Amino acid sequence: MAENIISKDEVEKIAELSNLDVNGQEDKLSKMLSETVKYVENLNELNTSNTPITYQVTGLTNVFQNAEGKSQTLTKKEALSNAKEEKDGLFSTKAVFDR
Amino acid sequence: MKNLNELTLLEALEGLKRREFSSIDLTKSCLSRIKKIDKKIKAFVTITEEEALKSAAEADEVIGKEGAIIFETKPLLGIPYACKDNFSTKGIKTTASSNVLKNYVPPFESTVTRKLKEAGTVLLGKTNMDAFAHGSSTETSDFFETRNPWDLKKVPGGSSGGSAVAVSSDMCIFATGSETAGSIRGPAAWCGVTGLKPTYGRVSRYGVIAMASSTDSPGPIAKTVNDAAYILNIIAGKDPLDATSSPKQVINYLLKSEEFNLKGIRIGKPKSYFEIELEEGVREKVDEATEKLKSLGAEIVDIDLISPKYSIAVYTILQRSEVSSNLARLDGIRYGNDRTNFGFEAKKRIMLGTYSLSAGYYDAFYEKAQKVRTLIINDFNEAFKNVDVLAAPTMPCVALNLGESDKSAMFGELMDVLTEPSSVAGLPGVSIPCGLSSGMPVGIQFIGNHFDESKIIGVSKVFQENTNFCKLKPKI
Repeated sequence: MAENIISKDEVEKIAELSNLDVNGQEDKLSKMLSETVKYVENLNELNTSNTPITYQVTGLTNVFQNAEGKSQTLTKKEALSNAKEEKDGLFSTKAVFDR
Repeated sequence: MKNLNELTLLEALEGLKRREFSSIDLTKSCLSRIKKIDKKIKAFVTITEEEALKSAAEADEVIGKEGAIIFETKPLLGIPYACKDNFSTKGIKTTASSNVLKNYVPPFESTVTRKLKEAGTVLLGKTNMDAFAHGSSTETSDFFETRNPWDLKKVPGGSSGGSAVAVSSDMCIFATGSETAGSIRGPAAWCGVTGLKPTYGRVSRYGVIAMASSTDSPGPIAKTVNDAAYILNIIAGKDPLDATSSPKQVINYLLKSEEFNLKGIRIGKPKSYFEIELEEGVREKVDEATEKLKSLGAEIVDIDLISPKYSIAVYTILQRSEVSSNLARLDGIRYGNDRTNFGFEAKKRIMLGTYSLSAGYYDAFYEKAQKVRTLIINDFNEAFKNVDVLAAPTMPCVALNLGESDKSAMFGELMDVLTEPSSVAGLPGVSIPCGLSSGMPVGIQFIGNHFDESKIIGVSKVFQENTNFCKLKPKI
């Protein structure tokens, strides 16, 4: 069988970048992700050297909010209503920096 | 005589206006149907019985006080509906059928559900879906599988499977769905109901848990296309909270379809869509349907379109990439559970997206896909110079058995091959029932040009008025 396009090592690296735990699923993911990448390579059959990129399908550009428009926001209580932990009216998280 | 829960939306509205029954009667009829059969089918993640009865009582009070004239300002007053569980509903659990959002109660309302609420609807509950809408069978729900009411061993399609099932088995009067590529039309086809995916940007995405933001399109799942047109009138329009929603004026789709006839209408059958592997019964029913439209006055022409196999690739790259970006916000700190709660399907999609967006691969994948997307759009533009609408099967086969979606890394994408081209191009499409194959419903879809919903609705309406397929019901 041909080697998978996305190796097990790459799976681990992508998982780290994605902040996901894939412990025990590396082989399956290597196989499935490779299968998908292999499929989408059929796009190379089409010449797009002079084709522009589509960013927005109905052609809207530069949509800005009206400065006088009412903005909508949540109250602090609403914003915190689903938080696992809060402290002094703020979201509580694990420390990011080493002390 | 139909039971109240079996009424179409327009029939239910007539009954309420004439005071033949109350919203409480109608709502109780739906709730008792849910209680009777949902144990077997499992369409609902959450049932909001108490709130529903309260809204229905309020609707009855207003109708009693104001009379039928109130329907001019509240066009869905007292109508019980089911809502896909990726529409944020303030104060009501919204899970996207995922363990990450299992206990999430949104502090805000999506634009679609707000509009429906303001129009007077009664929310019956939230329906099951593929988790985060990642799938085409409703089997990737982190909670449970939903069954097809036509055959409980089969899947309903997805990702709006719960909504399609709720409509098909008369547990509600209509339902909301959302489609990224096939998620409204697919389950509508497999459950024998009408599903309308509007033009991208016609209906606001605000408050709909994002999957692929450049193609996500909320829309109605209903018992007839007239019902779907009526709902679209209410939910369509520019929304300052969704910058990609279109400022184009909303027309009265139902009124427009009443004036519609097939004279001079050219319907294109894309050859490449009929060249893929199709189940024979599906091909036969769709050919019969286009023959019927011909006999009713339309001109049927074969046309060339780029093979839909390229759309599978474009869609897969765009969707995985946008998924990885959209789901990055779920960190379990501000709301929801942490990232260890993602199911395998979500992980797989996030990771492919992370890969295709990473430095060194971006040009080869995301940018290439966006360029081929341009080719697909140009191809459709050429086609619509020649024809008014396109007709094709919605799905290549009828509903599959439970468990079959596990067999491929790209099951959903492969099943949705015939809805992906129009989705990546942002075009509107509608799937309506056109008969049965091996006892299971077959859907035909009509695809229109951008913002040309009225034509696909018109063609569907003429077909439904002259056939009985949308009246076929599963025996459950």
